[in-house]
Amino acid sequence: MERIRIATAIFCILLIIQIIRAVRREHIRVEISMGWFAAAVLLLALGLSDRALNWISDLLGLRGSAFILLTVAGLLFLFTFFRFSIEVSTLKDHSIVLAQKVGLLEWEVRKQREEISQLRDESSTEPQETEKKARITGSSP
Amino acid sequence: MPSLMVLIPAYNEQGSVGSVVEAVRQAVPDVPVVVVDDGSEDATAAAALKAGAELLQLPHHLGLGGAVQTGYQFAFDQGYQRVVRLDGDGQHDAQDIPKLLRALDEDGCDVVTGSRFLEKNDYPVQPLRRLGGLLFSYLLYPILNQRITDPTSGFVAMNRQAFEVCSHSFPLEYPEIETLVVLRRNSLRFKEVPAHMRPRIAGESSIGSRAAVYYMLRVLLGVFLNVIKYERRFHTGKGD
Repeated sequence: MERIRIATAIFCILLIIQIIRAVRREHIRVEISMGWFAAAVLLLALGLSDRALNWISDLLGLRGSAFILLTVAGLLFLFTFFRFSIEVSTLKDHSIVLAQKVGLLEWEVRKQREEISQLRDESSTEPQETEKKARITGSSP
Repeated sequence: MPSLMVLIPAYNEQGSVGSVVEAVRQAVPDVPVVVVDDGSEDATAAAALKAGAELLQLPHHLGLGGAVQTGYQFAFDQGYQRVVRLDGDGQHDAQDIPKLLRALDEDGCDVVTGSRFLEKNDYPVQPLRRLGGLLFSYLLYPILNQRITDPTSGFVAMNRQAFEVCSHSFPLEYPEIETLVVLRRNSLRFKEVPAHMRPRIAGESSIGSRAAVYYMLRVLLGVFLNVIKYERRFHTGKGD
């Protein structure tokens, strides 16, 4: 077996172990890990199986196992990164909406606090004024 | 129903936002001035409040588009009929606000922008920026069906119909040019009126000469993608 295929197989096994460890420690979400897991298993199969490598070779019209492995790995990474770009875009949209809602809600909270403190001020000054009025009317002849 | 609101997006503009708010209050008294603090790291929020503005404070930096969109959402939620937007760096002359509003009311258009280039202006424009402006002006002509002399202007008056569109769909980075495409795709009408520009009161522009090249490429691509996006929506009957 060619060295590149052995190296690919070893790298993929290490990657699979790392993915499993990351999932167990909850460093990566299961749904995110699945893409990487599938990519690692596919590359491992290509590294180990002559039949799989020949099938891809015929399918893509490529010659040379190193070239095939690199092409497949490159395509897989491109696909995975594009998928992540979509997820990052979705998360960014959500983060923007949340930040905007926080800004708008904070304004409402500030307004309501101002109204409450204004009402408190009015209610605290009202008894004093009534007392004052009563005193004035009481003292007048 | 409240009629007019002035919107000022600001990011790290503690040196200028206060005087911009005061200038607006002098130009259009008794009109609410809303400053959207886009996660500033300086005392922009305090300066805006001190000057008597209403403050919408974003928890983190969203970029100009995100800040402006927040302001439009606020205006829409509060039932305002017209919004004038100007920059927090003091480059726009608040005395021009009535001119924009007159054009909005009298000429039956939905969006009025203040243009630096309709009349002779003392404000020095970098040649690269002027070139970029001209390029976009020609590029946008077939999309907008009209000539816009200052497509990067951030001095804009809109009626409720227009800022309703912007409250839903607004580009995040360098939004001015892409917004024109979005608004046109929603069949809204534009007009430009001459406006004065002045040097910044304080701080530095976010677009340096090197970033201007990136800006041009970025906006070119943005316009192209917005055209594709909205064409598709129109054909499938899903226009914003």
